[in-house]
Amino acid sequence: MLTRLAGGRVVDPANGRDAPGDVWFQNGRIVPPPDIGKRPDAEHDVAGAIVLAGGIDIHSHIAGANVNTARLLLPELRGDRFDGTPVSHEIGRMYAAMGFTMVVEPAISPHVALQAQLELAAIPFIDKAILCVLGNEDYLLGLLRDGESDAAVADYAARTLGGARAIGLKVINPGAAAAFKENVRRFGLDDVVPRYGVSSRAIINALQRAADTLGVPHPVHLHCSNLGMPGNVETALATIEAAGDMKLHLAHLQFYAYGTEGPRGFSSAAPRLAEAMNANANITADVGQVMFGQTVTISSDVLRQFNARGQASPRKSVILDGDGNGSGVVPYRYRRRNFFNAVQWAAGLELFLLINDPWRVFFTTDHPNGAPFTAYPDLFALLMDRELRARWIAELPAEAMQMTTLGSIAREYSWPEIAVMTRAAPARLLGLADRGHLAPGARADIAVYRPGADLAASFRNAELVFKDGMLIARNGQMGPAVFGRVLNVQPGFDRAIESRLGAFYDHIYGVPHTAFDVPLHAVAHPEPFEAVPCSP
Amino acid sequence: MGEAAAQEHGTALDDRVAEAATLLRASRNAVIAGLATDSAGAEAAYALARKIGAAVDHVAAAAALRDLEVMREAGRITTTPLQARAQADLVLLAGPGLLTAWPDLVERLSLHTPPTLWPELQRRVVVLCAGGEAPSLPGAETIEADPAELPALLATLRALAAGRTVRTDAPHGSTLRQIAEALAASRYGVVVWSAAGIDALSVAMLCGLTDDLNAKTRFAGLKLPADGNAAGVVQAAGWSTGFPVRVGFGRGAPIHDPWQFDATRMVESGEADVAVWISALTPRPPPAWRRSLPIIALVAPGTRFDTPPAVTVWVGRPGVDHDAVLYDPNLGALTAKQATAPSLAPSAADVLGRIAAAIPQEAAC
Repeated sequence: MLTRLAGGRVVDPANGRDAPGDVWFQNGRIVPPPDIGKRPDAEHDVAGAIVLAGGIDIHSHIAGANVNTARLLLPELRGDRFDGTPVSHEIGRMYAAMGFTMVVEPAISPHVALQAQLELAAIPFIDKAILCVLGNEDYLLGLLRDGESDAAVADYAARTLGGARAIGLKVINPGAAAAFKENVRRFGLDDVVPRYGVSSRAIINALQRAADTLGVPHPVHLHCSNLGMPGNVETALATIEAAGDMKLHLAHLQFYAYGTEGPRGFSSAAPRLAEAMNANANITADVGQVMFGQTVTISSDVLRQFNARGQASPRKSVILDGDGNGSGVVPYRYRRRNFFNAVQWAAGLELFLLINDPWRVFFTTDHPNGAPFTAYPDLFALLMDRELRARWIAELPAEAMQMTTLGSIAREYSWPEIAVMTRAAPARLLGLADRGHLAPGARADIAVYRPGADLAASFRNAELVFKDGMLIARNGQMGPAVFGRVLNVQPGFDRAIESRLGAFYDHIYGVPHTAFDVPLHAVAHPEPFEAVPCSP
Repeated sequence: MGEAAAQEHGTALDDRVAEAATLLRASRNAVIAGLATDSAGAEAAYALARKIGAAVDHVAAAAALRDLEVMREAGRITTTPLQARAQADLVLLAGPGLLTAWPDLVERLSLHTPPTLWPELQRRVVVLCAGGEAPSLPGAETIEADPAELPALLATLRALAAGRTVRTDAPHGSTLRQIAEALAASRYGVVVWSAAGIDALSVAMLCGLTDDLNAKTRFAGLKLPADGNAAGVVQAAGWSTGFPVRVGFGRGAPIHDPWQFDATRMVESGEADVAVWISALTPRPPPAWRRSLPIIALVAPGTRFDTPPAVTVWVGRPGVDHDAVLYDPNLGALTAKQATAPSLAPSAADVLGRIAAAIPQEAAC
């Protein structure tokens, strides 16, 4: 079926396009405008509306054992006023209504990848992917302790990515989960894992080299140490420096944008961090914006979550010492009147507004850690409207606003910048050639927004959303469920890793290492996966 | 087995699906019970329940909910079987039912050897109130007592571990004092329990003890899963409904109420007018409910019934007749099991999907 979106403002920065015009698509792909006189089978008049590629969220906790634990931990919060733990079929509907057509679940430990893939398979409408968490497994730490070759680490990373069917590597406070099992309670970039003698920095660098060797498009996606602690901007700055010339993605940077100034020893250090981001083109970051309200923090940084248990609201938490990695689920409420929360909110917006290059800063709330993803419409509006920001600032504690430069920043995001940050750049960061843009050949994943006086409302319910050319949402009304695919890499590796891992698992764990793989038969859809090419 | 084979080759399956759909269309309040099936079967059961407004329970819901109720009251710190085997230098086996829940426990946790990852450490094993099935573990410190005494013993142990004074004549006081010292001295201790064998108070006491010990050392719980793939079904329930088992869809959105949606209560009180009984993993008939109602049974071949159900569909055994995803206690995670004896028997998920498809949306209540 040939479809024409007629007369909208087509904002497609990957192809240098920002002008009124048409978008044509057929059989799930964008096509060139047909010869004059050829009639479309369907036409939508979108004059006055903005036409973008479908949104891509690179960091949102939407699946897996930890997310499910959060659901089971907080039955009393379920209901229409809490979006921290939506179930799988709601996630797809809620994202698609906002014009998002792909979401990456960023923290899946390899031993629980199968559950994450089953949950993703239950999420309708959107495409999905997982990042596989490495950095605390005893096998890996043993390789590094023994000074094994980069190739041995790369083989291990490739085998694990492939078994989990992940799109990239996630590294979470590397070494800390292993050290915590030895009763270490603080762990920074240059701390060393007991028994292994390996520093966090060394683990990061080793996995950066592995990703590079394997040609995995997505750079190592790093959750740094010292999350949430006053003064941790120093950790973030040191980590940027530690990356050397290699690519590195820093997750939820807002949670590392803290100084120690002011009467309470807590301030926004976002300007310093933004300056470092601007100066280092090899670094990308997503923000992890805080928005106010009830949420739940879900993190594989088990040490940080253990130490945060005292702030739980409601007062309960789940801590897991997992295989290699761990996790913690700690409910939390961000309050407008809370000095610290207000500084966090401002620091996130400062990062968005002070990092100059929208190709390197990504739009996230680290759902649900900074806020549920349903806060996105309000966040878009805050980025695009400085008067709206001023109104929010006026209602927040003045004492907190003195600890940030936010009030002095005039920048407003433009539609092309929004399109880069939420479409073109994520597709490029993940290595997806046919997503994030609207040139012929691209998937017909399209979102049409009609901007009005209430910008947030425009983002909350896109006027039209197409996935693979099918109309899936119109003004928040969903069509019948369709299912997207899970994108994943399958980098090559030396098969000798199988017997080495097999022997290690057999002795240490008493189980076969293959027991954690995700075979095709486990996922019910006819074509559940789509390969993303690696370029070693 | 003959009947199951006949079903595969004839139109019998179609007929039974149609009969089941007819019963469910006419029902005002159906309950899906047993639910001893794989992940796909559980997802299909929730999809059917959502469509027809039914309730969903599980054969081991009481045990599964005992753990979950403690978790959602106060939280917990747990670990995995692999981690316990690799690093635990102290393993506390608490309460009865551990070997029933996990017959391979001793071998899998390698309790006869030092921690596999830290072989320079000794592995100390403490057995508390094992009931009739204490594992054979020479060298283990053992307190044999009536399992009914477990809550009191745990209270004493927790008080001692926290450095509080207890009565000098507290039962097993001196042994418990030694155990408390061992817990505090452990590098990484793990307490193992099965909620099928102990009460909620004991689970809460063990979680509290674990929490207390983490003030100074590292300690974690290892909860063993209840039967009927309860742990796998609870996970599927979580991502399908946001709740564990015992939910009802009577008002559209799922509501979780462990009392209201207890299948036995619903049947015996007369609230439920049709039951779907699912036992794909083992040949197990519905319980002897004290009230009869039409039952649609999706059961493994070989199931024997005292009273024949209204509709019987023989379904394949997950991981035997068909590929499946099940929770594996050896892994502490879901795992994909390839069929060991592939057959044409339909899976519970297939049958539930076909029944759902045979019920028009407008007929769904």
